[in-house]
Amino acid sequence: MGYEPLVNQNPLRVLNLGRGSKQLGLVMARAGLGKTALLVQIALDTILRGNRVIHVSIGESIDKTRAWYDDILQFILQDHSVSRPHELIDMVARHRMIMTFKEDAFSRPRLEERLNDLILQDIFRPNCLVVDGFDFESADRATVEDIKEFLESMSLQAWFSATRHRNDDRVSPAGVPAPCHEVDDLFDTVILLKPEKDATIELEIIRNNGMAADAGTGLKLDPSTMMIKEG
Amino acid sequence: MKRDLDKVRNIGISAHIDSGKTTLTERILYYTQRIHAIHEVRGKDGVGATMDSMELEKERGITIQSAATFCNWKGYDVNIIDTPGHVDFTVEVERALRVLDGAILILCSVGGVQSQSITVDRQMTRYNVPRIAFINKCDRTGANPYRVTQQLRDKLNLNAVMLQIPIGLENDMEGVVDLVTMKAIYFDGDQGDELRYEEIPDRLKDEAEEKREELLDAVSMFSDELMEAMLEEQEIPEEMIHAAIRKGTLSLELAPVMIGSAYKNKGIQPLLDAVNAYLPCPLDVENTALDLDNDEAEVKVSNDPNDKLVALAFKLEDGRYGQLTYIRTYQGVIRKGDTIINTRTGKKLKVGRLVRLHADEMEEIEEAGSGDIVALFGVDCASGDTFCGGGLNWSMSSMHVPAPVISLAISPVDNKAQGNMSKALNRFTKEDPTFKTFVDHETNETIISGMGELHLEVYIERMKREYGAEVEIGAPQVAYRETITKRADFNYTHKKQTGGSGQFGRVGGYMEPLEDGEYEFVDEIVGGVIPREYIPSCDKGFQASMKKGTLIGAPITGVKLVINDGSFHAVDSSDMAFQQAAKGAFREGYAKANPVIMEPIMKVAVEGPSEFQGAVMGSLNQRRGMIVGTFEEGNYTVVEAEMPLSEMFGYSTTLRSLTQGKAEFTMEFSSYKQVPKSVAEELTKAFQAEKNEG
Repeated sequence: MGYEPLVNQNPLRVLNLGRGSKQLGLVMARAGLGKTALLVQIALDTILRGNRVIHVSIGESIDKTRAWYDDILQFILQDHSVSRPHELIDMVARHRMIMTFKEDAFSRPRLEERLNDLILQDIFRPNCLVVDGFDFESADRATVEDIKEFLESMSLQAWFSATRHRNDDRVSPAGVPAPCHEVDDLFDTVILLKPEKDATIELEIIRNNGMAADAGTGLKLDPSTMMIKEG
Repeated sequence: MKRDLDKVRNIGISAHIDSGKTTLTERILYYTQRIHAIHEVRGKDGVGATMDSMELEKERGITIQSAATFCNWKGYDVNIIDTPGHVDFTVEVERALRVLDGAILILCSVGGVQSQSITVDRQMTRYNVPRIAFINKCDRTGANPYRVTQQLRDKLNLNAVMLQIPIGLENDMEGVVDLVTMKAIYFDGDQGDELRYEEIPDRLKDEAEEKREELLDAVSMFSDELMEAMLEEQEIPEEMIHAAIRKGTLSLELAPVMIGSAYKNKGIQPLLDAVNAYLPCPLDVENTALDLDNDEAEVKVSNDPNDKLVALAFKLEDGRYGQLTYIRTYQGVIRKGDTIINTRTGKKLKVGRLVRLHADEMEEIEEAGSGDIVALFGVDCASGDTFCGGGLNWSMSSMHVPAPVISLAISPVDNKAQGNMSKALNRFTKEDPTFKTFVDHETNETIISGMGELHLEVYIERMKREYGAEVEIGAPQVAYRETITKRADFNYTHKKQTGGSGQFGRVGGYMEPLEDGEYEFVDEIVGGVIPREYIPSCDKGFQASMKKGTLIGAPITGVKLVINDGSFHAVDSSDMAFQQAAKGAFREGYAKANPVIMEPIMKVAVEGPSEFQGAVMGSLNQRRGMIVGTFEEGNYTVVEAEMPLSEMFGYSTTLRSLTQGKAEFTMEFSSYKQVPKSVAEELTKAFQAEKNEG
């Protein structure tokens, strides 16, 4: 492909996360810390390796979601010279599809129907799904289990984002905070984003591929791009 | 003439087709006493609504041309530009938006925010036009202004706030509750011209209180005074609320929502009050011009009637009495008998008749002040020209005009039609910058080109109706282009010795792809190996070569040409010789530069019930489309895709049969992209075959 070096600063590449085809990942943070940016990085990493991604955005518009990709690609292009930037942008667009849902329009049957529409007509065959804006607070365990089962049946890797709330201290035994403290065992990988004093974001891995991670695996990220901060 | 500029409103009425724009305009004109009877769009009386002045519009029930109309409401001068409702005419919409200060965005209370509304709204945002939303047709079955307001927030990202709530909906709609004054308003009389103010009905009191809270919360962001008054739980004066709404609206951070039913004569007068109260006057809007004497530096227009005149011709119309030019003045005063200059051509002209317009009728005036919209008679100009007085040489910033993407050949059926056709084409090209016409010298056909199938169809219809020019039309052709994808060197010698003085010139250098731009010529000749006087000849030769590519004969774009070597002959070199040499050099380089064919890609949005989403995506995919994304809300879906224009012919028919007529689509030009190999091969083959035949 020739584009792989572009994502060397991608935290997933460094941590060697997210390679299993059926695995389910979770990114948690408080509002505004960069969950969407990290999901977009995960998607770009997948795309630049030649795979296809469906970006499910719940409660966002297509234009806004696309703008995330454009912005982060611009950052990457600023740091790396690419001989034909248009081709790169085009390639990303061809390997990505955005599916946006109004909050109450998202459900497993809907998602299943949509994915089947795409796959059966051979329009788009995704390898990975990122789901931004899923409401863990009002979803019960059965709902999440149901979605997990469906994704597994499709052999899809998937990443979810979840928003933590300041005044909710509930935590699962494995250390995963609310609102995911009751479903955290369903996820193979759990990442927590935390703000640091020096205006960077720390990426803490609570669980990596089903294994509890050692403390101190945190990486410092640039808050605007969610790329690893150098130096 | 004494005029308070803050009592002038230049507004547009923009909307989705069929949301009742023309009916609303008609009502506005009736209540402002510009007309004395109301006609419906598809009226039984055969008269038709006053704003739809063209025959064709009357027949199709749609508005194509934007006519400007003047009226007066409670001491405010209101100029209304009736803007077209179909996306193929967006240049008309965009041109109208350029001269507007504010707009009413009409929505159907049943259909809500449809893809057309999204396109129109995006254009308004681009031109920074503050707007009031009017949710029309609240008398229709299934009306739900609350849902539409929510859609304004979700789909258009507007901070939409209801200023009214309905008293009853559908057949039971009686009037509206004004949340600022907290009064119920009823519209009595046959034509709803008698307003009756009452207490809010008991059943609506709680809802009105709740919605008023929402309104105050939203507008308190724009007024500290109001915020304080709310915190201290004081009585809030109406004026304070009005001022806050106005501030929010002007900053484009608030979109007041009004409701009503134009057809049933409900809610129009409060809407006019809102236009006066919340939409900007010419002084609130900053407009800039380009100073042509000062390297096109941006200058602010003053709006001051005492300054020198600056006016923009934004629309031409061919009336019974010759050409009518709609202008908007930005500063100074235009008077009958004045001499003004068209800064594009530098020609002086005398202002003859000056009129204010009301669609088909007009009113003679002596002068028009800054910020006004009027029309001139018998002035020769093109739309987009700027008129200045007193020696100014300014041009209103040029409008964004997209290049045509589709063309077709037309030929007149007889001699009479021939003459009429050229008359019509001459007129249309002046009126509409996106409509172009030329004669293809190889085939001797007249080609017209524009922004979409419907765009061209409308002009063909107009030719027939207004000019009596019956024409036969060819199949629509997509405007392909060619470009290069890699750098290539050239070194070409043009030599001819045929008795008498010969021709000699050698041109060396390279060509490379130009990412942003169409053509660039760089002269890196040192030591005079090509004499100075022949450098422009090389440029000319290259430019001539760009007109027709070798792959399919389409124009070439995106090429940078650099010359850095060459040689000449003291006697045999000439302008002609170097032009020929450049052409040869171009051919040589082009063949090596890996040329490709580019096609126009359109941004397409299809919307309809979710049950058809799979079928819609399938149909787009089959047509070489790239699906960008989907949006789902309840049982309603939008699919956005990038589609090659060449694959979109006849799509409306396909879509209709796929979805039982329940889905619709809009299309806008997006960019040029390389065609896939298989398609390119077919195109080249067809071109070669045609060439061999001819």
